[in-house]
This record gives sequence, C-alpha cells and structure tokens, in this order.
Amino acid sequence: MSVKVQIPLPLRGLAGGLSEVEATGNSVREIIDDLEASYPGVRERLFRGDEELNRFVSIFVGGRDIRLLEGLETAVSEGDVITILPLAAGG
Amino acid sequence: MQPHTDRYSRQTIFPGIGRAGQTKLAKSTVVIIGCGALGTVSAACLARAGIGRLRIVDRDFIEYHNLQRQILFDEDDVKNQIPKAIAAERHLRRANSSIEIEGVVADVNYRNIERLTAGADVILDGVDNLETRYLINDVSLKHRVPWVYGAAVSSDGLTMNVIPGRTPCIRCLFPVMPASGRVATCDTAGVVSSAPFIIGALQSVEAIKILIGAEDVNRELITIDVWTGAFQRLQIGDSPSPDCPACQGKYEFLEARFGARTTSLCGQNAVQVVVPGDAELSFEELAKRFREIGEVSYNEFMLRVAVDGYEMVLFPDGRAIVKGTNDESVAKGLYAKYVGM
Repeated sequence: MSVKVQIPLPLRGLAGGLSEVEATGNSVREIIDDLEASYPGVRERLFRGDEELNRFVSIFVGGRDIRLLEGLETAVSEGDVITILPLAAGG
Repeated sequence: MQPHTDRYSRQTIFPGIGRAGQTKLAKSTVVIIGCGALGTVSAACLARAGIGRLRIVDRDFIEYHNLQRQILFDEDDVKNQIPKAIAAERHLRRANSSIEIEGVVADVNYRNIERLTAGADVILDGVDNLETRYLINDVSLKHRVPWVYGAAVSSDGLTMNVIPGRTPCIRCLFPVMPASGRVATCDTAGVVSSAPFIIGALQSVEAIKILIGAEDVNRELITIDVWTGAFQRLQIGDSPSPDCPACQGKYEFLEARFGARTTSLCGQNAVQVVVPGDAELSFEELAKRFREIGEVSYNEFMLRVAVDGYEMVLFPDGRAIVKGTNDESVAKGLYAKYVGM
C-alpha cells in the first residue's frame, strides 16, 4: 500500500525538508520501517526503547489516533494519510 | 456614557453564552501560565469576556522581538523593563476594570505550581516549553481542574482540551517527553503571529465553554498551518488511556521525577542545566540553527553559543552551562528557548 505521510517540523530535516512524503507498507509499523529505510534516524525520533509505550509522538491514520485502533499494527489502505504529530513547544 | 452593564451585551445575545453563562464567567477563576503570544491573546479574550478572576503567571521581561506577536505589550514596556505578567495586568485593567486581574512574576515549577493554580476553574497553557506543559498536565489531573493545551511554532499550531477523567490527557497522547534539542521552538524555527493568534483564540473559547458547562466542548486535537491553510481535527478518543501513568495517579513531573535540574555554580556566575533522559545532541544540527541567533563554535566535546548576552556551553549528553547569570530560571529559560525542552 502506498500512503502519504505528513512529516512534522522537527523531522523535516531528516526528510529533506519535505512536509509530506510517500511511503509503502501494510501497517503503521511497516510504514515507519519504510520511512526509516528512506530517511535514516526517523525511528529513533519517534520512540524510546519499548516502541509500543514510549512514544514521543501521536500517530494518526485517516485522522484517527492509532491508540484507538490497533496501535502500530493498525492496517493502512492505499491512499491513506498518516499524520505524525509531536507535542509542539512554542507559546 | 453607556452604562457598563452593557459591556457584555454582544456575547450574552449569543445563545451559547446568554445571561446565565455570563454569570458563571463572572464567578470563575482562570489561571494563564505563560504570557507570550498565546498568553497575551487568551488573557485579552478572557479579560474582555468578563472572567471574574484572572491570574497571569510569567517569568520573563519584554523584548523587542516579542512585539511582533505578543499583543498586550508595547515599546514603553520594553524600555521600562516591565515583566510580562505585570504589563499584561496593567494593560488589561484598562480594558476591563470590573474584574480581578493578578499578574504574578514567577518561574513555574514543581514546587510552586500547585500554589499558583490554587482556586483555578480552568488552567490555560501559554508556556514556551514542554516540561511545564507536562507539569500543568499533572496538576490538572491531581486536582481535577481542566486545562487547555495550546502551542504554536513556525506556521503551525495545536490545541486540545484535557478534562480530567473525561478526556485523554497530554501523556495519553504523548507518553514520553522528547529529548532536549529535538523540539522546534519559536526562537529557532520562528513563528508567524497568526498561528498563536488562532490557537490563543481557540483556547479562550474552549475555556469559556468549559466554565459555562457547554455541551460543545471540543474533544479533538486541532492542528493548523496558517501558511498552507491546512486545518485538521484529529480524533483522540473520549476517555483516558488505561496505560497512561498520569491518568492512573502517577504524577511524575509534579514529583520532580522528570524534568530539568538546575544548579547555580557557586562563584562562577554560571548555572548548570541538566535534562533527564539520554539526550544525544547533534552539534552540527544545533550549530546550523544557532548561526541565525549568535556566534557559535563547536568541537566533538562541546558547543559554545553567545545568546542574549549570555554564553551557553552545551555538552553532547544535553547538559548545559549558562554563563553570565546566577539565576536558575534565566538559565532554564534560555535552554528552553534555544535548545528546547
């Protein structure tokens, strides 16, 4: 499955400055693996240690938090939009 | 002159608020933590809307580069070196003398946050760093006071409501605070004023709805990009996460188990800032950001940068020594602004 991934500001440096990239995979986990292959360092910016629980970011598939779906095993469909969203700091 | 009873007529005509809602607002207390772009916008909205008691807490003074977006301040405030909390109080008293407004000049931390938020019906987030937000989250859950998260950097903004026991909290969504140096801040990524204006305005109306007990309280995470014009509402669910430590009563930021530690280095006019976790700073990346701000040099062991009249020396593990001050909150503030925490 080919999906669109929205890249947040702090990760754009790793993704060549792009705010949206294409990635392929059948689940969120596979999408992240694919991102890591294209843009090394992405995974480390998303997780600490135990991936399932120690997220620095929220991940949404079609606007829905994967916490409400199947977590990293959430299936993705062709053309889905995946949003990677860190907590923003500025005020 | 028209009677001041006319003051709120245009919002009481609006059925969602009405006279009953206005009476509730007049009896309410809101604490705004952080009075930068978000805080000045929300303080202005809420003071004018007639919130009975408004406490505005901020640790900073006003600088020229704040005037681009911090709408309560002016050039006289910069020249007279008025702290933001005090300037906000003074300006807002002129906008509405019929409510209580209290500006408090303080660095909010785990020791004082419970005192500073005592009596609040809603807490509004206007801070410039993540650590204080996790602290607000803890105090909100512990004392069952709703808070409204808001943040803006670059052309992006985010906001969501945290209603203890009824909605996910910030740690349900973001269980771990990102390592220092990995967060975009307004001081390194810049900020387009419209982003905090929109977010501050949304935070204010959410506070009003929560105070009134309106049905229409937002239960989603709202994101905006004012540059591309993209607005999103993201579904975050309608209950706290069973895995969330804070929602299970473990207030780790309030207990100071996480968060930066500062130590004044005796006799050196310097303060050390130590951040939790296993940060691994990329000097190359940081140097690129810092070049816009001040003179910067680095080798594999340390990075030096001159900012705001201080010198900050950073180490790869995220530790910093801020030279030119003995004030721990100044050092922590600089770290939050330029490295990010």
